[in-house]
Amino acid sequence: MAKIKGLACKECGREYPVEPIHVCEFCFGPLEVIYDYEEIKKSISREKIEKGPKSLWRYIDLLPVENPTVGLSAGFTPLIKAENLGKELGLKNLYIKDDSVNHPTLSFKDRVVAVALSKAKEFGFDTAACASTGNLANSVSALAASSGMKCYVFIPANLETNKIIGSLVFDPVVVAVDGNYDDVNRLSSEIANEFGWAFVNINVRPYYSEGSKTLAFEVAEQLGWKSPDAVVAPLASGSLYTKIWKGFNELKEVGLIENNPPRMYGAQALGCSPIYQAFKEGRDWIKPVKPDTIAKSIAIGNPADGPYAVKVAKESNGDMEVASNEEIIEGIKLLAKTEGIFTETAGGTTIAVLKKFAEKGVFNPDEIVVAYITGNGYKTMEVLEGHLKSPIHIKPSLQEFKEKVIGQTVKG
Amino acid sequence: MNSMKLKLIYPEEKIKEPILSRMCKTFDIDINIRKANVQENIGWLELELIGKEEEIERAIDWLIKQGIEVSPLEGQVFTE
Repeated sequence: MAKIKGLACKECGREYPVEPIHVCEFCFGPLEVIYDYEEIKKSISREKIEKGPKSLWRYIDLLPVENPTVGLSAGFTPLIKAENLGKELGLKNLYIKDDSVNHPTLSFKDRVVAVALSKAKEFGFDTAACASTGNLANSVSALAASSGMKCYVFIPANLETNKIIGSLVFDPVVVAVDGNYDDVNRLSSEIANEFGWAFVNINVRPYYSEGSKTLAFEVAEQLGWKSPDAVVAPLASGSLYTKIWKGFNELKEVGLIENNPPRMYGAQALGCSPIYQAFKEGRDWIKPVKPDTIAKSIAIGNPADGPYAVKVAKESNGDMEVASNEEIIEGIKLLAKTEGIFTETAGGTTIAVLKKFAEKGVFNPDEIVVAYITGNGYKTMEVLEGHLKSPIHIKPSLQEFKEKVIGQTVKG
Repeated sequence: MNSMKLKLIYPEEKIKEPILSRMCKTFDIDINIRKANVQENIGWLELELIGKEEEIERAIDWLIKQGIEVSPLEGQVFTE
């Protein structure tokens, strides 16, 4: 495995072999995959990538997998020039990286789970697991089903079943744990350490999180092999945000792009903003919070990669901002009515924060700015109830149509 | 003997209490602190609890009852 040197602790730097481990035995810091970029440089090229599969696997030289077997169609989502939203925000080169149409389960999670489960299969695991009710559970359930792995999904027992229909359809074993989210978290961690299962965001997390780098790789390729000037991305655990940064840096390291990696702007929901708070208060540690926001997909009160996200924001000359529930809804609506993209609350948060930064003037109008849309609005339509226009009711009469519809909606 | 790696987060009002030493006197477990940050308004520790499985579980329940947040090292893994 020439391209990978091994795993290294993000805190103390101690090195480990490529195994399903995720925590440093000495300082308990998280482990990360380290690559031999000199070796990778010898074989990687723009042409080789462009000839590769139309999926995230075209970047296999920079991923910790030798033989991809799971999620072969994940990634390679559209990068859309957002002319209308750009006009609204005064940005001439605004782009949307649209992972709301990622395959197969319509969120960026298909990227990370594709990498995690491909690696898990290489390790010889036959069982995939996660604790989630949302995008992660959807993706693990679907990709486990398609790759013939057994699948366990852990949820708190008091949760309504309709919240996990999008996972249940793939027929995983759903384990309803008597307890709250914290109890489920703890139990999942214990199970991951004791059973021979691939818990995607626990024991195979070093590999799982690498999948998010492809969000940077694709954007650079789609822009004609260059880094944008700035990106806006949501912050949940902080992993996606830090890996996008790592992705652009790797491209520069191996010579696929020449310009500098972008300034990294992070978006959190006001009701769950522990990373934003640490950044603004100049702390390098995270004070956990109890989430209270409609942006459930990014509501992580105790984010594992929070300190690293703070570091990336500083290192890249970026910034962080928060959006209230109302602003998140407005963000969803703004993206929908300007670009025809229906995102969920994480995307609403990103757009709301993009708008705030644009209004503050942090972007030069000519700069290339990319906003990452990570999930699909059709999964959480209930958040928009009461926030959209009602239909215009009429009798089946042409006269009433002219008076009530044409009269009210057609101007001049 | 089992061991469990945990992160303990103390709320401000609990910082002055000798919670860990009480836990070790109440339950038959050892602790091994690997990383910690204790300040006037918050404290967190990453540690290993070593002992029999049921004793560790009892100790965790006790910690939670004392108002300590007990999370896995991975932070919050449950994501919507």
